[in-house]
Amino acid sequence: MASSLKFVRVPPNSANIAEARQRVFEFFKTACRSIPTIMDIYNLDDVSSPSQLRSTISAEIRKNAHVTNTQVIDMLLFKGTEELSNIVEHAKQRHHILGQYILPHEESQDVGTKDQGASDFLKNFYKGNYF
Amino acid sequence: MASALRSAVLRRIQVPIARSTVINGSQMTAVRSMSSHGDDHLDKQEVVDRVLEVIKCFPKVDPSKVNPDVHFQKDLGLDSLDTVEIVMALEEEFKLEIPDKEADKIDSCPLAIEYIFNHPMSS
Repeated sequence: MASSLKFVRVPPNSANIAEARQRVFEFFKTACRSIPTIMDIYNLDDVSSPSQLRSTISAEIRKNAHVTNTQVIDMLLFKGTEELSNIVEHAKQRHHILGQYILPHEESQDVGTKDQGASDFLKNFYKGNYF
Repeated sequence: MASALRSAVLRRIQVPIARSTVINGSQMTAVRSMSSHGDDHLDKQEVVDRVLEVIKCFPKVDPSKVNPDVHFQKDLGLDSLDTVEIVMALEEEFKLEIPDKEADKIDSCPLAIEYIFNHPMSS
């Protein structure tokens, strides 16, 4: 995965909105298929699951759902690909992933079983310190 | 004593040579013990159950609405990105890699079940 992303070239701009849309789906699939690698190299098995990470990726894509300009979509896709390749090449550390992608999306989900008995102060302390 | 009896009995016993294993015949192709796939193919009911389980676990889906004939966008109120997400979840569950052309066509439960059931590598 890392080696294949290394040779990514910037493709020409999307001609129309349908092509840009297709590229977004392709990017989403590439990102989903690299989830096992990401969980492996950052040791995410005890804090997250593949389906949670998939939902996180789709939520990040959905943040920009209102964009209709194809050039802007291409730019966002490029930034997404860059971010993904940085993550897959292990250019980040575990707390970057935790703080950026896992903790912000955890608010709505239940807290892990080992923190059930802890006070609110301790829970906030754990959250604030990225484990 | 026992060994003498045993050898006496064994000398009398004749077992007909089994003629069922034909080296070049079709019977040898039935069992490929070291093969990684082929004879452990999934049956239809298992595929249906696991596909429904994956869809029910999807956060935006109401589990009570899920049945084997459901359409992702019309019946479950999902959008195109959710559909791709479900297809990726199915890929992970059945250890497949569905090519883009086929993945675009899968937009309902019957199509997903049919594709996975007919795929030789699904497990």
